[in-house]
Amino acid sequence: MVPMENYLVLSGIIFSLGVYGVLARRNAVLVLMSVELMLNAVSLNFVAFSAYLDPDKATGIIFAVFVIAVAAAEVGLALAIVIRLFRNRSTANVDEAATMRW
Amino acid sequence: MTTEVLWWIFAVAIVAVSAGVVFARTVIHSAIFLILSLAGVGAMYLFLTIEFIALVQFLIYGGAVTVLILLALMLTRMGIAGRPEPTTGVQAPFGALVAAGLMATLIGVAVSTAWPGDLGQNAVAVSIENIGEQMFQNFGAPFMITAALLLVAFIGAIVIARQEDED
Repeated sequence: MVPMENYLVLSGIIFSLGVYGVLARRNAVLVLMSVELMLNAVSLNFVAFSAYLDPDKATGIIFAVFVIAVAAAEVGLALAIVIRLFRNRSTANVDEAATMRW
Repeated sequence: MTTEVLWWIFAVAIVAVSAGVVFARTVIHSAIFLILSLAGVGAMYLFLTIEFIALVQFLIYGGAVTVLILLALMLTRMGIAGRPEPTTGVQAPFGALVAAGLMATLIGVAVSTAWPGDLGQNAVAVSIENIGEQMFQNFGAPFMITAALLLVAFIGAIVIARQEDED
């Protein structure tokens, strides 16, 4: 088995790429995909910690399950908002969605 | 030894496709790279010999979430609406700076910290039985709250995305 640091470094790289995507990309769906990347990196981190540091309690694995469930709820809701935004504004650019109401 | 070589191949591939998600010029390419990235992370769970999370990853991320994202991309193509697809904004250089700083910090912390109780080569697999016992004995309340959260989120999604014919 590879040491735990490998997993931590890998998830750090994925997380940072996700942060760049959230900050730089302007398409709302792409921002959401970058958030998914970040959540995945976090889950990988949790599971790696759980497997290497405390396999008896499996706490990190349970946490990863909850992260996945909340991510599923988040992606469904966020895509509904994006579709609504596109229908009202015919844009998916987050820079153009700057007003709270219209 | 073979496992380690395979691990490194997968790790490099995951980093490459994850970079593809954020750097690809067209959003459909990003979505395809995202599928590959999620599948790669699922393979990482298999390397950790935690099959349960790997299966959940393939099912929920590889199946449901990807389909949702592709559907949203289809419904929000800006080229059809006669406007150009946005790529990166003026924030891109600052975003790159923040992400690079964060990456350096995370890697530095991960490598330099001496993790207490690190089993290293002796790490054992977590059985599905163990996960189930922990889940329903110690995490029963969060489990039920998550169920309520999912229900509320999906009803909310339907309400938000619904066509309003009355106005």
